[in-house]
Amino acid sequence: MLENSLSVFLSRIDFAWITSFHILYPPLTVGLATLLFFFEWRWMKTDDEKWYRLTRFFEKLFIINFGAGVATGITMEMAFGILYGPFSQAAGPFFGQVLGYETITAFMYEAGFIGLMIFGWGKISKKMHLFATFNVALSSSFSAMWILVANSWMQTPTGVTLKNGVFQVTDWVSAILNPDVMFGFPHMLVACFELALFFVAGVSAWFVLRKRHIEIFARPLRYALLALVVVAPLQVYLGDGLGQVVAHDQPAALAAMEGHYHTYNKDGSVNTGWHIVAWPNAKGDGNAFAITIPHVLSLLETHTWTGKVPGLDTIKPEDRPPVVVPFYSFRVMVAAGMFMMLVAFWGGWLALRRRLTAARIAQNPLFLRVVVFSAFLPYISVWTGWWTREVARQPWVVYGLMRTAQGVSHMSVPLEVFWLVGYMAFELMVFGGTWYFLAKVIRKGPDLTSPVVQEGHQMLGHIEEPKHHEPAQPEYPRPA
Amino acid sequence: MQTMNALTQTQHFLTIIWWMSLGLSIMLYLMLDGADLGAGVFSLFVKDEHDRGAIMSAMAGTWDANETWLIVAGGVLFGTFPFVYGSLFSYLMVPLALALWGIITRAVSLEFRHLAEPRYKRFSDYAFGVSSLTTAFFAGMAVGATLKGFPLTHTPDQVPAYVGGALRFISPFSIWTGIAAVIAVALAGGLFVRARFEPQEDIRKHAATWTNIVFFIALAAAVITTAWSVIIFPWAANRWLGPHFYLWGLGFLVVVYTVIRMRMASNREHDIAAILWLNAALALMGTGMMWTMYPWMVPNTWTIFAGATPQVSIITFTMAMAGFFPVMLAYNWYQIWVFRARVTKLAAYGH
Repeated sequence: MLENSLSVFLSRIDFAWITSFHILYPPLTVGLATLLFFFEWRWMKTDDEKWYRLTRFFEKLFIINFGAGVATGITMEMAFGILYGPFSQAAGPFFGQVLGYETITAFMYEAGFIGLMIFGWGKISKKMHLFATFNVALSSSFSAMWILVANSWMQTPTGVTLKNGVFQVTDWVSAILNPDVMFGFPHMLVACFELALFFVAGVSAWFVLRKRHIEIFARPLRYALLALVVVAPLQVYLGDGLGQVVAHDQPAALAAMEGHYHTYNKDGSVNTGWHIVAWPNAKGDGNAFAITIPHVLSLLETHTWTGKVPGLDTIKPEDRPPVVVPFYSFRVMVAAGMFMMLVAFWGGWLALRRRLTAARIAQNPLFLRVVVFSAFLPYISVWTGWWTREVARQPWVVYGLMRTAQGVSHMSVPLEVFWLVGYMAFELMVFGGTWYFLAKVIRKGPDLTSPVVQEGHQMLGHIEEPKHHEPAQPEYPRPA
Repeated sequence: MQTMNALTQTQHFLTIIWWMSLGLSIMLYLMLDGADLGAGVFSLFVKDEHDRGAIMSAMAGTWDANETWLIVAGGVLFGTFPFVYGSLFSYLMVPLALALWGIITRAVSLEFRHLAEPRYKRFSDYAFGVSSLTTAFFAGMAVGATLKGFPLTHTPDQVPAYVGGALRFISPFSIWTGIAAVIAVALAGGLFVRARFEPQEDIRKHAATWTNIVFFIALAAAVITTAWSVIIFPWAANRWLGPHFYLWGLGFLVVVYTVIRMRMASNREHDIAAILWLNAALALMGTGMMWTMYPWMVPNTWTIFAGATPQVSIITFTMAMAGFFPVMLAYNWYQIWVFRARVTKLAAYGH
């Protein structure tokens, strides 16, 4: 089995493609569901129509995004078995079961309530509807939890022994609560909230910039920015914590993320340099060039001035991950995270000075433009963060236990290409459709004219052509 | 491969329970989403654009919950029978890929239709119909290919993996099961459309004609499938024509009875009753098929015990999951109840 064969490479690219296009959607679903619950709850409490309009408007965007998430998610579930058959067989006792938990306790649960949330307006009581929204938010967070349990276990596989080609679970608690998940899951969950908050803030800022519905959109903009004052720094803190875990449990991954080849300098002192820019040399045993700041790496990873950080020279050459992708994607993620934190502080400062009220908010177009721009940054950081995680784990599919080349299905190159091309076409179709329709719904703006739903009076949908027929009155079922 | 892990009594029992749960998930998927797929196939024969839109809106509230039973089936298969999951999906790579692309296209056209420009609506409708058809066909083909079994590696101390080409799944029988699956969902879809529309709607009359014709085609398809299975699968012939043939014969008569009741209900326009009788027939045939195959999960390839995950895991899985099935069934029911109202074609998808 050739580690660097074209077939293995294509399997990796294929999976990278599927994952990258799936991960665009669920984070918004998870975060936005919670915000929808908040909007709807405020509406129930205050009976203020603005909250209702906001709920219905963002719900439309939510649905589009959710559909895309399901379509690409089914693809992922099947891709495990198809592209990584041997991995699926070996890891089934833990990984497969965790995905099983996910489909049953989270996904199924979510899909059931999402039907009620989307189409239940007016058919079920307001309280029941709020309950449905609450359950969508809760279950989608469960989804994120199980997925991160599975993925973190691939990073730090505790609680299992590999015997006869199968991962036998010896300790469920330590397998589920593996070292990586303790920071990995919160980091992802908070990423979902940060993404959704920036999404809501960005869309709202866009409306304010256009001077449309300022009274309605000033409110979510202010709330989102105030929440981000807490969420954005929290995310930086959690990211740092996750970095410590990676440094401790996956030294090879950390060394690749930092382009850190040499544990010691030539004079025997500890190499503490942190590279801003670097490019590995052709031999793969050092950087061809690098811009380096001393002591920063030790400060970041060990929180001391000269702490030792193992370099790639402590790892066998055949076990070293690729450097360029994790190195740069990690830097992009961190930079985006820092920028978002600054935007949040800026917003917080404006809010403190009462400049984010509906009356004054439009007077600061620069800030609004920055917020609109920032709505794309969480997507960039989710992508780059995930690439960092997955590429830095190579050449292992289960870190230290099972190599990626052992986990891939035995497929011919033409078949791999068939898959890749097919997936590219479909994922791009979903992607194009999603953004086209999101943009379309946003441009159209919230529906301010249709009456606020009353309990038990809504028919299925609205009447398109009332002239030709009498409207249906399907309030009660006809006996069969 | 029987020696992969020796099973205890408890494990035997739990494995059988999970095998039944898997069967239940697949059956529920067939019953619930089979009707949606069939309505999609039917929509290919519907000329009026508003009628096609109304068919989609009729399933709007429930289709994603229906479809999740497929995902649950996948989750249970991966979770409790990982050895089968890994090798079976390698074997069925191509038909599953095509079915999957059908499912994605369907989801996209269902979700986005009401947002599309009028001139793209026709494209979206067409995509919906064709993808429903391809999903049913390739899923049916995958079932037929599974019944034929597939070769495995026999490396000592390693999990047996699939050996063979990507196109091995193609056989006259698997092509036939693909066609049969399309016929079966077409019948379910016709009944679904009849049950979901107001009596005075034209589309409902159209669906009535449709079910009357498809009923006889489906009957013929069931007979052909059974006869073909007896001829090519010794494991099926041995069970059905073996010493307990009278029990199987009795079961066969019960199926015939449900089919007759379905036909009667359909003729009397008892739409819900017709669907329930059809589902009863499906459930009986599905259970019969599982019983026929026992102890094989994939005939001559994997027994349910060889394919099951080791003991510790399966017990944990059971403890965590068993309570969820009744809960899911309860709210599936609640959801169908909430969206029970009949629709007219004028009640559009908007919300």
